[in-house]
Amino acid sequence: MRHKPTIRRLLSLVGILAVFTLLAASCGDDDEEAAPATTAAPATTAAPAEPDPEPEPEPEPEPMEEMDTVVRLGILGECEGAFGAFHEDVVGGASLPFITFAGGTSNSPTSALEGFSGAVVAGVPIEVVGIGCGDDTPDRIIQEVRKIVEQDGANVVIGPLSGDESIAVANYAKDHPDVTFLNGIAGAQETTMVVQAPNFFRFNGDGAQWNAGLGDILHNVAGWDTAAVIADDYSFGWTSTAGFIAEFCAVGGDVISRVFPPLGTTDYSSFVQQLPDPDEVDGYFWAVGGSGTNASLEAFLAAKGDLTGDQHAGNLFFSPALAAALGTDIAGAYVGGFATLPGDVTSPAIQEYLASAEAAWDSLVSPMSGMEPGSPAAAAGFGFFYGFYSSGLAFIMALEQVGGDLSDNHAALRDALANIQIDGPYGTITLDENRQAIVDTSVQQLVLNDAGEVVSQTVALIPAVDQSFGGTFSPQTPPPDRENPVCETRDLPWAGNAIPVVDGVPQG
Amino acid sequence: MSPTGTASGPARPGWTLRRLLSARNLVVAAATALALLLPLFGSNFFVEFVMTRTMILGIAAATIVFLAAYGGMISLAQYLLAGVAGFMVGNAVVAQDAWSKGLKLGWNPWVAVLFALAVTTAVAFVLGALASRTTGIYFLMITLTYAVIGYYVFGSITPLSGFGGITGIDPPGLFEDHPVRMYLALVVLSVLVYVSFRVLAATPFGLALQGIRDDPVRMASLGFNVSLHRTLAFTLAGFTAGLAGVFNVWWNGQIDPTSISIGPTLDLLIVAVIGGTLSLEGAWLGAFVFVAANNYLRNLPLVDHIGITEARFNTIVGVLVLLIMILSPDGLAGIIERVRKGLHRLFQPPPGPGSTPAEAAAGSP
Repeated sequence: MRHKPTIRRLLSLVGILAVFTLLAASCGDDDEEAAPATTAAPATTAAPAEPDPEPEPEPEPEPMEEMDTVVRLGILGECEGAFGAFHEDVVGGASLPFITFAGGTSNSPTSALEGFSGAVVAGVPIEVVGIGCGDDTPDRIIQEVRKIVEQDGANVVIGPLSGDESIAVANYAKDHPDVTFLNGIAGAQETTMVVQAPNFFRFNGDGAQWNAGLGDILHNVAGWDTAAVIADDYSFGWTSTAGFIAEFCAVGGDVISRVFPPLGTTDYSSFVQQLPDPDEVDGYFWAVGGSGTNASLEAFLAAKGDLTGDQHAGNLFFSPALAAALGTDIAGAYVGGFATLPGDVTSPAIQEYLASAEAAWDSLVSPMSGMEPGSPAAAAGFGFFYGFYSSGLAFIMALEQVGGDLSDNHAALRDALANIQIDGPYGTITLDENRQAIVDTSVQQLVLNDAGEVVSQTVALIPAVDQSFGGTFSPQTPPPDRENPVCETRDLPWAGNAIPVVDGVPQG
Repeated sequence: MSPTGTASGPARPGWTLRRLLSARNLVVAAATALALLLPLFGSNFFVEFVMTRTMILGIAAATIVFLAAYGGMISLAQYLLAGVAGFMVGNAVVAQDAWSKGLKLGWNPWVAVLFALAVTTAVAFVLGALASRTTGIYFLMITLTYAVIGYYVFGSITPLSGFGGITGIDPPGLFEDHPVRMYLALVVLSVLVYVSFRVLAATPFGLALQGIRDDPVRMASLGFNVSLHRTLAFTLAGFTAGLAGVFNVWWNGQIDPTSISIGPTLDLLIVAVIGGTLSLEGAWLGAFVFVAANNYLRNLPLVDHIGITEARFNTIVGVLVLLIMILSPDGLAGIIERVRKGLHRLFQPPPGPGSTPAEAAAGSP
C-alpha cells in the first residue's frame, strides 16, 4: 500500500513545498528588514574580537536615527472576537486625522485597512507600518503589539480597543520607553490609574467616566432608591459598573445586588435568577456587552415576566436596536454616555467632523451600516471610531506643537501630549497627571419618536468628568471588581451640575 | 524512523554508535545547533518572538505527541496544565503591594517555579487518574472537559485570578531584559524534553506504555497496571507542559483565563496535528509553521489582494490542517519521512524487507 509513489504522495510533496516556499519568502522579508541592524552591529563590535556566546540585542543605531525623522505608526485594530466587526471603524478612526489634518490620502476609497499615504506633520512623514489584529484577549494583543513594535518597527502605536487589552498594552509600554502609545477606545480604569506607564496616553474616558451623571439622574429624577446591577465579569464590566455604583451611592441610592456573568455567556437564565424580582428593587443597571446585552435582557424577560424601560438602565451597550427583540417597552430606559453623542445633538464641529470622514472614503464596512459598505460618517459617529480619532488628533497637535521633535525618546512630544487640550467635536479633552483624559460625557435615554420607533436622545451633558470621581477611585483604593467600590455616600464634583439637553440643545 | 518505530521492537541494551548516528538524530542535532546559533544571525524579532514562542508551543505540543504516540491518548488538557503552572507562577511572584489580581505572595521567582511545577504535577496526577480508565474519543472528551473547567475555575475564583487575569509577572533576573537567554534556555529545555521522551520510550515503563497503547487487555492480563501507567504518563506530560507554561508566562508577562480557553487549547492540538501527532520532532516543526504563518503570511507581497489578511489567519491554518489531514495524516513529519524514504529508494535499490514496520499501529487507541 505504501510502497508505490501515488498521486497523493506527489500532491503532498507539492503542498509541503508550497508551504515552505511561502515561509521562506516571508522569513526573507524579515531578514531584509533586519539586515541593516544586524550588519551594522557586528561592524562596530567585530574589532575587539570578543566571542560573546550571548550577543545582547544591540540598540540598533540605524532605526534610532530613523525614529528622529519618521513616525512609523502602528494601529492596534480588532479583527476577531466580540468586537471584531469594528476593525474598519477603529483603523479608520486612527487614520482620519492624518488624512484630514496632515495631508494624507486613503489608499483605498472603500477600506481603511489599506492605510493611508503622504501624511506629513511638522515636516515629519507619517508611515503606517502595521495594523494589529486583536481578539479582545490580552494574550493576543500582546503578540500583536510585539509584532508591530519589534518586527515592523513602529515608534508610535494607537490602540487597543478593549479593556483587558489596554492593561496588557500599558504594561508592555513600560518595557518599551522608546515607543509612544495612545490608547484606542479601551475603557478599563487600571490602564492609566494603576499601571501609569509614562509613555501611555489615553484621550478617552474610562468605563466609569462614561457613566457619570447616570446615578444622579436615576436617583434624583427617576426616583430609584435601590438598584441591582448585572455586568460582564471583566475589567471593563467592573469599571463601567463602578461608575454607576459610585455615583448612585454617592447621591444616596443603595445597590442591593451585584451579579457578574462571565464574558461570552450565552445562557443568562441562571444569572438573572440571582437578581431580585421587579417588586423588590427600584431598578436594574446593565453592563453586559456584545451579544450578551440582548440575550441577558431576554433571559430577564423570560424569568421575571416584566421589562419596562423605566425600571432599567444600561451602559453604552444599551442601544435602540434592543427594541427589535424586546419591543418598544424598553423606551424610557436611561443609558450611560460614550465617547460620542447620539445624532440628536449636532453642531458645526460635529458636522465638519462627519463630513471629513465622508471626504476620506467613499464607503466603509461597519456595524453602524449593518456590515455593508455604508456611509463613513455613520461609523465616525460612533465612539469606537472617535476614540481612535481623538488619539490620532492629539498626536498630530502635539507633534506640530514641538515642531516634529522626536528626539530623546519623544520627550518633548510626550510633554506636549500630556498638556494638550483638544476642543473636539464631542467636547473638550484634557489629561490628568496619569495621562488619563478628563472628558465631557452625556446621559441618554431611549425614547419613542413620532414614528413610534425607539431612538436615543441626549438628556444631559456632564462636563469635565475626571477618572477619580472626586477621590472615590485612586491608585490606593481597590480597583473595581465584583465587590468594589463599596456603596457609600460622598460628594461628587459634578453632582447637580449636569447641563440638561432639550431636543438636542444644551440648556446653558 | 518514527518514535514508535524506534521503540516497538525488542529493547536493545545501550545506545550503540550506529543508532546514535542515525539520519534522524543527525538532523535533530543539526537543527539544534542551528537553533543555538540563531541569535548570531537572526533578527531580534525572529529570535525573541517567533522562535521563542515556537519553543514554548513545541514543548507543550510534544507532550500531546508523547501521550498520543506512546500512550495512545490524545489529550486536550495540555494547555490547561501549562496554564496551571502559569497561574501558579503569577500568584506566587507578584508582590503584595503590586496592583494585580491573585494571591500576590511575592515569593522568589525560583521558589515560585518549584511551587508551580509541584501544583501542576499534582493536578495532572489527579486529572490523569480520573481519565485513565477511558480511551479514544472518551479520553479526548474528558480532557476537553478539563480544559473548559479550568477556564471557568480560574475565571470564577477571583482570589486566584478572575477573568481579568494576573498582569505584571516578571521573569527572574536571569531572564528579565535578556530575551536571548530565555530563548537559549528554551532550546536547551526543548532538547532535554525531546531526549527524555525518546529515552523514556525505551525504558521498561515506556515499553509497557506502548504495550498498553496497542493492547490494554493483554497487558492487564500480563499483570501490568494499565490505569497506573496511563496516569503516570499523563502526570509526566503534565509536568512537562508545566515547564512550557512557566516560560510562557515569563515571556508573556501576564496570564488570564482566555489564555487557556478553548481557542489556545485547540491551537496546541493544531500545532501537534500540523507537525504530526506520532513524531516528537513534529511538535516543534508544527509550532514553527503555526507561529510563522501567524506572523509572516500577512506580510507576503500581494497576499492581501487575494483576501489573506491578518483577520484570515484562522482560515489559512484551517485550510493547512485540512490539507495535512487529507494528504498526510501523520503531519509534516510524516511527509518528510516519506520524502526521505522516497529518496532512499531512488538512490538505493530495494535491499529487502523494510526497516520501519510498526508506524501504522501507533494511532490505534
